Amino acid sequence: MLKTYDELKLLVLAGLILLAGLGTVSLAAGSLDSMVFAIALALAVSYIVVHYILRWVGRSGDKLILPVAAVLTSIGLVVVFRLKPELFLMQALWVAFGLVAFILAAVAGRRVELWADYKYIWGAIGIILLLSAEIFGVEIGGNKNWLIIGPIHLQPAEFAKLFIVMFFAAYLSERRELLAHDTKKIGPLVVPHKRVMAPLLAIWGIAMIILVLEHDLGAALLFFGTALLMIYLASGRYSYLIWGGGLFLLGSVAVYVLYHHVRARIDSWLNPWADPSGASFQIVQSLFALGSGGVMGSGLGYGFPNLIPEVHTDFIFSAIGEELGLLGSGAVLLLYMILVYRVFKVALAAKTAFNILLAGGLAILLALQTVVIVGGVTKFMPLTGVALPLISYGGSSMVATFILLGLVFAVSEAGGSDA
Amino acid sequence: MLDELKANVRKTAVFTIGILVLVFCYLSYIQVVKSQALATNSLNKRAIQVAARIERGKIFDRNGQVLAFSERDSDGKYERHYPYGAMLAHVIGYSSTKYGITGIESSCNGDLAGMKNWGRYLGPIGNLWQPKTGNNVTLTIDATLEEIAYRALGNRRGAIVALNPKTGAVLAMVSKPGFNPENLERDWEQISSSPESKLLNRGVQGLYPPGSTLKVMIAESALAEKITDMKQTFTCEGAWKIGNDYELTEEHRHAHGKINLEEALAVSCNITFGKLTVDLGSKRLADSFSRYGFNRPVNMELEEVPVELPDFKHLSDGELAQTGIGQGGLLVTPLRMAMLAAAFANNGSIMKPYVVSKVTAPDGTIIEEFSGQEFLTPTSPALAKLVRQMMVAVVAEGTGSAAGIRGIKVAGKTGTAENPHGEPHAWFIGFAPADDAQIVVAVIIENAGAGGEEAAPVAGQIFAGALR
Repeated sequence: MLKTYDELKLLVLAGLILLAGLGTVSLAAGSLDSMVFAIALALAVSYIVVHYILRWVGRSGDKLILPVAAVLTSIGLVVVFRLKPELFLMQALWVAFGLVAFILAAVAGRRVELWADYKYIWGAIGIILLLSAEIFGVEIGGNKNWLIIGPIHLQPAEFAKLFIVMFFAAYLSERRELLAHDTKKIGPLVVPHKRVMAPLLAIWGIAMIILVLEHDLGAALLFFGTALLMIYLASGRYSYLIWGGGLFLLGSVAVYVLYHHVRARIDSWLNPWADPSGASFQIVQSLFALGSGGVMGSGLGYGFPNLIPEVHTDFIFSAIGEELGLLGSGAVLLLYMILVYRVFKVALAAKTAFNILLAGGLAILLALQTVVIVGGVTKFMPLTGVALPLISYGGSSMVATFILLGLVFAVSEAGGSDA
Repeated sequence: MLDELKANVRKTAVFTIGILVLVFCYLSYIQVVKSQALATNSLNKRAIQVAARIERGKIFDRNGQVLAFSERDSDGKYERHYPYGAMLAHVIGYSSTKYGITGIESSCNGDLAGMKNWGRYLGPIGNLWQPKTGNNVTLTIDATLEEIAYRALGNRRGAIVALNPKTGAVLAMVSKPGFNPENLERDWEQISSSPESKLLNRGVQGLYPPGSTLKVMIAESALAEKITDMKQTFTCEGAWKIGNDYELTEEHRHAHGKINLEEALAVSCNITFGKLTVDLGSKRLADSFSRYGFNRPVNMELEEVPVELPDFKHLSDGELAQTGIGQGGLLVTPLRMAMLAAAFANNGSIMKPYVVSKVTAPDGTIIEEFSGQEFLTPTSPALAKLVRQMMVAVVAEGTGSAAGIRGIKVAGKTGTAENPHGEPHAWFIGFAPADDAQIVVAVIIENAGAGGEEAAPVAGQIFAGALR
């Protein structure tokens, strides 16, 4: 049993990791910036403040989610400061916004089971957010998923994911009887009823649209993978996974044949050494960084992660692998595993179908996002530009991930039990 | 109802965390198994960047003259400079990110690049001891003497090697034609593709027939094996028929008449030395070459190529006689001929030639110091003295007179080596002062003609410069 006091201890540790990391980077660079330390100290204190606010609002929420998130954001801040010192201030600001969003989500979601009633609103918001990027979106770095409102650059897709998970959790919790039993059989394969098949085809259609129009293989994979696993979660039927996987594969092959952009990505995954200075430049640079880091790493500030393009966003994991070695990159991956495990644990402790599906869906989303980007930069799977949750530089992903965790915290509170 | 759902949650959790575990395994594979291959891949720019981050150490001559140093250019990157340009290009070599490293830059790279640091075995903690500057290397080369030798050779192709016979320290090493390492990257095409082999360090990598310079070794061997003595008289009739198919001749079939060994060496009589070599026989001739270390590598840092010796088991008498006058299948480097002369200059011992005398840390503390080491002792002090006296006669009254300098006794031997590439190569090997030698030189000028006329005066200039 974790005590409230343990959460506080772990948060102090997260703050110390942040201060020690920034100190190491500064010493290696040979210059100390008191501004940076003032900001870091403020953030370390705010971790603790968040702890007290949470425990004041309610007492029984999960006690590992916030500390693990704080350690990951601390590592992210240190690495962003190492790679792009000029972006540190902004990233610190995003973390601060994230912490506020976490509290708001945790507080707002105290009766989260009631949200199931508004499922079509969530669904509509999700679709609108997705389409807004399509209609008003601007292409930055090859992906047309940015929305620019005055000085603010937003990636609405990051938030759309949350709403769509919420919609699915509500939709599936209502229809899961239907999903599980109303089926026909053709040979060995179970064919779901058309009322079930329809949303599956719809989400498949949306994923394909994202893929084709926004050139965003990563987002498409995330949407479709999350939706598919949530359908399995609700029904317990493997046939949905087979149908869905088949559909996605079919669509991907079609897109591979039809669209040059997607084809180039897949080809550079299958054989990066065919064109290491051209099409496969990014993945090859990422592998060089990871390989040069080895087990021990070069030490913070002593590697050359800036040889990788976009290192502070999509490739930040490779920078960690280079400078902190497998010890560092492996630790980060383990932290994600712990976080995902904790979120599933919250799902298991939840008391309503909606809450179970919501927490389960959010766990799947978090896990898949980590797999897609870490798997991408290590050449485990084709590379797609997705943020590494809580670590990559960027506001949308940071705030969205904290909202995700805040909702999970709310579910854990509503679940009323503790691990 | 909810239990069924929770069972699904458990399965999904195992599945998704399982994928994360797979990614973890793959990450470990990349960072452990593939680490070395990725880190050393030629497209990975990190090795160059590491080298560019620290200031490469300086190279000094024996008197503290700077021969190579690094300086930041306008972009903040270190650039290598060579104040002596082509003069020392072959000894020092070059350090280029594009074309690699050679010479001292290569053999001392660990020190110069600051990589010989125990801290690097500590992983990231080792960064605490990472130096900002590489170690400095001091050479045995005397830049002033190098310049004298470089000028004395003029625009001719060839090489000069000068050693201190008492220690083996290389004092000068010139190879022409050369290249200017300052402009290496700019002129690479022209330097590397030149038919004149500009990158070849002829002093240690040029293979030439030694011609008559080898006769000093034959003289010593004949005396050592008691085949002859200083009193025996030989008769030279200008030509000598060996067997049915080979005739050994003097230049213009000029007969030297009745001469003893000393006179034969002074006039470089082919017939006398041909006969002595045939008397020695192939076994004892092979022994002589190994006594003087021709078939034994001497010092890795010199990057020398091995000498080519004839196949002693299958030599006819004619081929034996040819080998004895430094022709036939025998090919040697100028360094090896300087070492041969050094044996007689240094009472029968050959010291191991070396170029690096000292490695110092940037703050001046000495890290490693090198001094003379004996390589071989091929002959006795008494025999060495006899050969030395004969070599003095060569310069005093024989073919090597152009190497003589006023007031100092010089010992030497000329050579005019026939070769398939045109005019004979002009050779001179010798040392001075003869009774207390401070310097031994080997000079070869490719296709220049008679050794006594072309190579001996060059050696004379070097002796004068070194003993001024």
